[in-house]
Amino acid sequence: MTELIDRPPLADRPPSPTAELLRVRELGVAFGERTVVRGVDFALAPGESLGIVGESGSGKSTTALALLRMLPAGGRITGGAVELDGQDLAGLPEEALRAVRGRRIAMIFQDPMSSLNPVLSVGRQLDEALRAHGGHRAKAERASRAVELLELVGVPKAASRLGDFPHQFSGGQRQRIMIALALAHDAQVLVADEPTTALDPTVQRQILRLLARINRERGTALVVISHDLGVIAETCSRLLVMRDGEVVEQGATARLLTVPQHAYTRSLLAAVPRLDAPSRAAGNSTPGAEPLLVVRGLAKAYGPRRRRSPALESVDLDLHPGETLGLVGESGSGKSTLARALVGAHAPDAGSISFAGRPLDGRRARREIQMVFQDPYASLNPRLTVGRIIAEPLIAHKVGDRAQRQARVAELLEQVGLEASAAARSPREFSGGQRQRIGIARALAPRPSVLVCDEPVSALDVSIQAQVIDLLARLQRELGLAVLFIAHDLAVVRQVSHRIAVLHRGRIVESGPADRVVTAPEHPYTAELLAAVPSLPTPTSGSLT
Amino acid sequence: MRTFLFKRLPSALAVLVAASFTVFLMLRLIPGDPATTLAGPDASPATIAAIRERLGLDAPLLSQYVHWLGQVLAGDLGPSYAIGGQVSELIGDGLAATVQLTVASLLLVVVLAVPTALYAVSGRRRALAGALRALTTGALAVPPFVTGVVLVLVFAVGLGLLPAGGHASLFDAPDLAVQYLALPALCLALPSAAILARYLQDGLERALGEDYVRTATALGVPRRRILWRHALPNALPSAVTVLGLQIGQLIAGAVVVERIFAWPGLGQLIEQGVSRRDYPVVQDLLLLVVAGYVAVQLLTDLLYSWLDPRVRWE
Amino acid sequence: MTTISFPLAAGSRSRNRYVAGLRTWRGVTGLVLVGTVALAGLLAPWLTDADPDAQGPQALAAPSGDHPLGTDDIGRDLLSRVLHGILTDLSIILTAVPAGALIGAALALLAGTSRAADLVVQRLFDLVLSFPGLILGLAVTAILGPGRWPVVIIIALAEVPYFGRQLRAGVLVQREREYALAARVGGAGRARVLLRHVLPNAVDPLIVQGAVALSVGVFIEGALSFLGLGVRPPEPTLGSLISGSVAYLDTDPVLAAAPLAVTTALVLGFTLLAEALNRGARS
Repeated sequence: MTELIDRPPLADRPPSPTAELLRVRELGVAFGERTVVRGVDFALAPGESLGIVGESGSGKSTTALALLRMLPAGGRITGGAVELDGQDLAGLPEEALRAVRGRRIAMIFQDPMSSLNPVLSVGRQLDEALRAHGGHRAKAERASRAVELLELVGVPKAASRLGDFPHQFSGGQRQRIMIALALAHDAQVLVADEPTTALDPTVQRQILRLLARINRERGTALVVISHDLGVIAETCSRLLVMRDGEVVEQGATARLLTVPQHAYTRSLLAAVPRLDAPSRAAGNSTPGAEPLLVVRGLAKAYGPRRRRSPALESVDLDLHPGETLGLVGESGSGKSTLARALVGAHAPDAGSISFAGRPLDGRRARREIQMVFQDPYASLNPRLTVGRIIAEPLIAHKVGDRAQRQARVAELLEQVGLEASAAARSPREFSGGQRQRIGIARALAPRPSVLVCDEPVSALDVSIQAQVIDLLARLQRELGLAVLFIAHDLAVVRQVSHRIAVLHRGRIVESGPADRVVTAPEHPYTAELLAAVPSLPTPTSGSLT
Repeated sequence: MRTFLFKRLPSALAVLVAASFTVFLMLRLIPGDPATTLAGPDASPATIAAIRERLGLDAPLLSQYVHWLGQVLAGDLGPSYAIGGQVSELIGDGLAATVQLTVASLLLVVVLAVPTALYAVSGRRRALAGALRALTTGALAVPPFVTGVVLVLVFAVGLGLLPAGGHASLFDAPDLAVQYLALPALCLALPSAAILARYLQDGLERALGEDYVRTATALGVPRRRILWRHALPNALPSAVTVLGLQIGQLIAGAVVVERIFAWPGLGQLIEQGVSRRDYPVVQDLLLLVVAGYVAVQLLTDLLYSWLDPRVRWE
Repeated sequence: MTTISFPLAAGSRSRNRYVAGLRTWRGVTGLVLVGTVALAGLLAPWLTDADPDAQGPQALAAPSGDHPLGTDDIGRDLLSRVLHGILTDLSIILTAVPAGALIGAALALLAGTSRAADLVVQRLFDLVLSFPGLILGLAVTAILGPGRWPVVIIIALAEVPYFGRQLRAGVLVQREREYALAARVGGAGRARVLLRHVLPNAVDPLIVQGAVALSVGVFIEGALSFLGLGVRPPEPTLGSLISGSVAYLDTDPVLAAAPLAVTTALVLGFTLLAEALNRGARS
């Protein structure tokens, strides 16, 4: 399927100012009293592609939902117009609007698993989409059209899979099915809200290429909403940057990414880690000669006794003091299983872990090896205060008395850049980035020598990402920590790591110096991963300062 | 589905065996000896010993249990202690009446609950939907013995429309039988119908808030169709589970309802058995109820797995 | 919006949400109903001088100054019997429901310790649940005979699997959350993770279950009394008062009215409270 598609259009199709398919005028949206989108203004020509980018809270997804007037409960359009071919959707009665949705303007969503109905077969769901505006097409006709749609989006053996249910497809195939649903009536506009955020990089690339191909070959105008500038650069010829519910800047993607005008766009671009930037780890610390942590032949399988599926086949790994080892892998590669085995959360089926020359036991692991988690919301116990969360490892290891622990908590908070007064507050009073700092402070509490970071920045906005990465670098410099940095984003991993190891189906397929692995990959899988990273044009020198 | 049955069947059987053993042990836990009870207050030690031997009460506990299970499977349950007659005949007499009552109320439960729930989430006539909601809360809040008393007061004593109690054969006099059946079935059905309606409504509301409903809306599927074809199939499996649990409540509630409406079913029999300490009757009836209920649960689970493809294909 | 667009950690704000649930019309109505009935029961010795068990000369008397609600079939003061009946019911359910909740919670925590324990505890819950509702009551009465304590035991036993299953489900969900893993990685032992981290985040749904259980307790007491298998006479309970009035429905329907009204108010109150708490938790 993918070989049909070459590079997507970037600036080769300039927006035509005359033919307007979709025209958004001074759009405002509020939830209750709170205005979340104001004065959004843009136009979309037939066959054009527009990307809307912004960080969380920028109002980009709300804008997308407002285009189909599908705001969640409590939200309402407070002003402006959404004109599709001159017809204002914002003022249309519900029944007339229904006739527009899915027929002339369609939408796909972030999470294809929850967005597909789990108890209806894929064929049924396509049929539902087809008959929503189908008039009186015969059942057989609808069925053959459903197969056609699935083939169009690249679902293999489409005809035999109509009876299957969403959970029987992979994540990427589910998103393809979502796209097939949206294409059922050849809508003129396709709105994609974070269409690849839930997907792995290699799958993301396939989906983005599919969207670009639909845009190019079928002339479907595309609106892509994303937090990831790379995703927009791959698919859209025009770009619109949002912040705090307002449009900051818009224009041709190629121009905006190379010569941004607005300060916010510049800072956003500056914060995005770039794959072609060399590793900064060497300037941060020099790894020791003797390995601190040595992993040999580590294996772990899950599932019922008879049908165990291996998560780790056989993993060998060395981590030196003061070193950052980047571990790259997609979902299902076994990276979380590896992280959990290292911190002693579960016992491996086979293999050995030794620490400073001695086999690692659970007690020792829990002091020397600590972990920073991906989700800054789920990883902090909502029932405890920040101070208590950080003090928990100290209490568990019976370190110091109450007053000493309090002093240590204050010290740790300061170390991660938070006020000591934060200790008395609840974690929910903090933003995602601040919560991640609290998580790091907790990990540092028992003075570990190894920090396992499991996707520590993937849930954060890029500007916050940069801050947390800087914090980790500073801590490594000050404390001489060995860091296992697990992530799927190769650009981030290259930036922070001395060495990179690539995990694929429970095995390390390649490892080596960070810059070498990125510039001259030896394993085909590494090359595939690298090719999947959306590329951003390099800004003109000086434009980011 | 077959693999699902194989996975579920062992635990159902385990529960059944454990429950039957518990029921069997009950008889031994009671202070006093069944043979003494059976023989009556004035019996001589020799008579008691004879009875004990005849009932096999001097055998080891486990072999007594196996013997009893054998009796049950053969359908020969032996004599009752206090009520008189053979236990199998007593149960046979009441079974038809109780099954009539519970099946009739089960139908009523579904007929009352499903439209109520669907209507309440349809988004039309909010006032009526609110009233229905208040009504289900009310029905939930009133114990069946209160409902029964009120129904008798209104329909039998006040309006004189229906008989206050009694029973007629469904085959000999169908119209009369239905008249007799109406009040007890309604009384038994109301609380369960309220619970089912409430669960189904909650399930539908939850489903209507899911992402896949947003997808269907974005595709232009009409709201009514979203409710019936997209939300309902998702709410149905857990509603079926609740219905299965409510069948247990119907069986249990029948004991009270049969008393109120003088309905000659198993409820009356078990109540007599308990109050007159007729242990064989109680023991066999408990086993029957538990076995029936475990079977219902198993059926419910199968239905669930059929309705939810995620379980079906596991 | 990125992947963390809805930062609502489950379990957070939950106590406040339950309180907010109580401030709705359902919550307030429920509190008023339960409060009024409970207060009337607690103040019974001050509200009436009449001995609930003393038989007067006049049976089935109409309401009068001496007997504000009249007398029953053997001349006892109905008001006094209703008020003391409330007291009996409250003392039964307030003993039985916490006992059932504690045993259920203890079993659920036991289930959280190992896979084998989980299996045993689950089958135990299945076993109790295989005796539906009142049937369990009849089985226990068959062994223990009628009386106050058997009623307490029946209600507690019937509630054990509901509390237990609910908490077990909550523990299973919370245990998989990252903060539990974080506590483990930080050096906390299994018991500490379970008791100090997981349990406090999993108990909240039991509040709703508690309100439901109280109403079920009134149901069970009433049904057992109705069948003559409950608290022994002459001690009044709401159930025995209703069942005693059934025989006089066509001649003296007033006799049934007072206990019916009180029982309905109490159960309705608990039901509304449960609904209010549940809605608060889900909002």
